Amino acid sequence: MSLINRFINRFINNNASKNTAAILGTLITTIALTVCITLLWPFGNVIEQIFAGGTFFFVFWASLFYWTVLADTGKQAWGRILIILLPVLAIDIFSLLQLSFNLPAK
Amino acid sequence: MEQHTHKKLYTTHAWIGIISGILLFIVTFSGIPALFDHEIEYWQYPAYSEQQNTAEEQTPFNLELALQASKDLNFNHENYFIQPADKINNHVILAHFSEGKEPDLRYLNADSYQEFPASPSELNHLLGYLHTDLHLPRPWGRYIVGLSGMAMLLAIIAGIFIHVKWRKEFVMLRPKRSWRLLLTDQHKLLGLWSLPFTFILAFTGTILGLLGLISPILALAAFNGDVEKATIAVLGPKAEVTGEYSAVYPLNELLDRLEIDLPDTSVEFIQVSGLKIINRQEKIEEQRENELVTDVGGIIKFSGYHKDKLSNLETVTYNLSTGERIHQGSFIGKGPFQRIFAAVTPLHYVLFGNTWLKVFYALSALAACGLILTGNMLWLHRRGHGMKHWLSKSTLGICGGLVVATSFTFAASQVLYAFKFPLESGLHHLSEEWLFWGSWLVMIAAPFIIKDGFKLSHYFLRLTSFALIITLIADGVFNQRWLWFSQGWVFNIQMGILISALLFIYLDWKMPNQVQQKSNTNIKNSNPDPDQSASYMPQESNQ
Repeated sequence: MSLINRFINRFINNNASKNTAAILGTLITTIALTVCITLLWPFGNVIEQIFAGGTFFFVFWASLFYWTVLADTGKQAWGRILIILLPVLAIDIFSLLQLSFNLPAK
Repeated sequence: MEQHTHKKLYTTHAWIGIISGILLFIVTFSGIPALFDHEIEYWQYPAYSEQQNTAEEQTPFNLELALQASKDLNFNHENYFIQPADKINNHVILAHFSEGKEPDLRYLNADSYQEFPASPSELNHLLGYLHTDLHLPRPWGRYIVGLSGMAMLLAIIAGIFIHVKWRKEFVMLRPKRSWRLLLTDQHKLLGLWSLPFTFILAFTGTILGLLGLISPILALAAFNGDVEKATIAVLGPKAEVTGEYSAVYPLNELLDRLEIDLPDTSVEFIQVSGLKIINRQEKIEEQRENELVTDVGGIIKFSGYHKDKLSNLETVTYNLSTGERIHQGSFIGKGPFQRIFAAVTPLHYVLFGNTWLKVFYALSALAACGLILTGNMLWLHRRGHGMKHWLSKSTLGICGGLVVATSFTFAASQVLYAFKFPLESGLHHLSEEWLFWGSWLVMIAAPFIIKDGFKLSHYFLRLTSFALIITLIADGVFNQRWLWFSQGWVFNIQMGILISALLFIYLDWKMPNQVQQKSNTNIKNSNPDPDQSASYMPQESNQ
């Protein structure tokens, strides 16, 4: 337990880690969120879905960037990234599998 | 807002500005000539204005005559673009692009459809390509431009939140106080007054720059990552070459049909794919009466801008042999996100509204340039860095140097007409390029030789205004286009150059010759006078 704590304190809980979360973590999460929006956007046709994803990409990127930058520690910044990224990734994987195997939606 | 949140936003705003500032300046400043790309192109080559029709109304575009002319010119490409005459230029352009090769461009008079020589000067392309791609290999330059737009967007967002006293800051300028306060006030004034425009330019520029990068992500859901399929769904199909040829549908009839299919739209581009010109020998072999034939899968796509809408990109695609309409792309009445995306290019390049709106955009871009410069100077000044700091030298050399190099290239574009270089030698354009890059390089090196930054800034401003005035004189001497005799767009551009020269003279006059530099010791110590303090104090009026 103390080993994990030491690892977190040394590598995660610093400013560099927070900045990495704000730049890299945010970008990855934004991509995942955009795929999610494009897959699940309920309004309009397929072209509207694409453009909804495109618009939200930049909105998500800017919002997530500042949400992570405003975190007090690196640990909190990564926590904010993961709390969005993990469920969104799960939705993406499930939806893409559904598309690949042509499973009926719901 | 809590003070530590304010401080974090402030720090982020400053660091984004410092990291991306110089690149942002290059993109923003080169955006000003890029905004007037067509107008500068028209001015840079006197032969364009000589094509003007003396009649009050423009001759209607004749597509069949344009294609006939292309045939006579041996413009034998199966895929090419036609750009009809517009409000500024009275010529038709035939263009074929192939990867890794120089484009094949032909210029026809819009009344006689006779070819005339292309422009020896490529000033507009030189500056436009710097704005869109930084003269880097495609698509990397565009991605960097897109990323710089994103940085600008992030800096603007933080800037909005950290300026808590914006009502006061809208009108606050204290020129008689300290240098730092003057910089702070200028930074805030420029930022606040140009905010809506810089926000629009940053947002739309980011989308335009990064669209190629995010397209595969967007295409993933609906088209299994097939970007081409997604592009076809949005912009219409491509020609499907079958190898089977037939006669071409009467093309001017298609032009007439545009009145119904694309009402209130000015056609800007026509893409022709699959059209083939049969030469005499082939004609005998294939026993065809018509020399213009098309692959049965050939298409013709008309693209233009709706005159009354913001999301104004309109396209219609016809089959070249049957005249059947096979695709219509319109964003009018579509969902909100389609309209947002369709509005991106018109919003970024002002493809709506009138010339005054373009001028307003240009002034906002100029304000954004001032914003970037004052931001960098503030950051350096607050830390007590003078001209010795590499960032001071780089900011002055790269940013100031770009302004000087641009004005030199403007002057060169006209002075070089004196040498009457043969068009095929390309020496006119080559000399422009050499002068642009060479003078910029010299200006970048200058701060490392001349240590007095203020003195050098004065030199830069004087050189810029001098080069712009030389441009006007050279235009008069070599092209007989003196300002007081010229008219139309030539006059407008010349006036723009004159006003720019006067602006640089004014800046040279108003800029101080030196500023008392505070010592690092003073900066580190807390100072009771808020005007003299360099530490972070969001509660104080000078922040």
